[in-house]
Amino acid sequence: MTLTRLLRRGGPPEPGAEADFADAPAEGEGGGEPESVEKEGGGESESAEKEGGQEPGSAADAPDGARPHRPPDGRLRRAALVAAVVVLVLGGCGFFHGAHQLRSAASARNHALTDTGATTRVAGDVGNALARVFSYTPDGTAAAERSARTVLDGRAARQYETLFEQVRDDLTEQRVTLSTRAVRTGVVELDGDEARLLVFLDQTSHKGGGEGEVTTAAAQLTVTARFEDDRWRIVDIKAR
Amino acid sequence: MERVVRALTGTRSRPLPALALALTLVAGGFAAWAGQDWYHAAHDDRAAYAGQRDEALAAGEQAVQNLNTLDHRDVDRGLDLWESSTTGELHEQLSSGRAEFAEQVKAAKTVTTARVLSGAVTELDDRAGRARVLIALRITVKASDGAKTDKDSRMLGELTRTDGRWKLSALGQAPVGGTSAG
Repeated sequence: MTLTRLLRRGGPPEPGAEADFADAPAEGEGGGEPESVEKEGGGESESAEKEGGQEPGSAADAPDGARPHRPPDGRLRRAALVAAVVVLVLGGCGFFHGAHQLRSAASARNHALTDTGATTRVAGDVGNALARVFSYTPDGTAAAERSARTVLDGRAARQYETLFEQVRDDLTEQRVTLSTRAVRTGVVELDGDEARLLVFLDQTSHKGGGEGEVTTAAAQLTVTARFEDDRWRIVDIKAR
Repeated sequence: MERVVRALTGTRSRPLPALALALTLVAGGFAAWAGQDWYHAAHDDRAAYAGQRDEALAAGEQAVQNLNTLDHRDVDRGLDLWESSTTGELHEQLSSGRAEFAEQVKAAKTVTTARVLSGAVTELDDRAGRARVLIALRITVKASDGAKTDKDSRMLGELTRTDGRWKLSALGQAPVGGTSAG
């Protein structure tokens, strides 16, 4: 539409080539021009009114002078187009930025509960891992330590080793049986291959084997786990 | 003369609209794509759910802390806070036993403060407006003689959304030991 009109208008009014880039008054006339062109069909009076209202416009219409119709028109169109493109690009950037902000918000990055599968898995893996490494019989600490090597890593592994160094002999001597159960596990944070959990543990210990004294202790741990080689490994344990 | 001009303007006007049109289309396409991308991000169910989860946790932690904080010198304010943090059955229990409890605390002259160590949401039904939370809590009780005792506590709370706010509807200690408790 615009294209054809531009071409059509380029013909009859014989615009002076030398007046291509007209001065300010001509530009002012151009401002009124596109609108009057749009309403060419019906709005004869309106276009007349427009031109009549603008002093420089009527001057340009005078028969003697060069009529700088097209060039300023094209220039204005160009400016309008540039403005439109700028607005669109800026708007697009704004939306893009907004979407990025929404997606990278702390609550959106935390997939605890929103990703049910991953949440259940990390809670189950960590609960089982804790139960295994903190359960042993007087003769079977080796099994717990073996489990520890597969499910603990980093600081948690070092903590565990230090702890076991201290208690291993006592355990055998006093014939302590410890069984640990994760009673509640809550995923605080889950972001990709890192997770933080709050675990409530029950630890039941039997001393002296058989019908010895039985004590149950409650423990609250904050556990940091990392997903490596297709399984969750505990890298840090903090007693709460 | 006229023909020359026409030719001149013809060559001048054609490439500009074509280029401008292409540019405008590209810019418009980008704006439209970014707009719908933003719209999806803003109306993402998961993000809304995650927001509810975080709100429930924050409200739960605050409510559990409130319910474990009480100063015998300002019992009424403390108990008002208890009532405003709770809803449903728990709220009714608290308000019905309020007078009696206030007397006990005033007589015992204790100051109880609590600090949330960690908390997590374990269940969330954002449509029904129900959530369950685990809270690890350290409660400090200062007796009338100034002696302080710390006690670590693990709480299970149930939250219900009322008028857009999450409030505690049930609260209890996580049971220790189950059947074999000594």
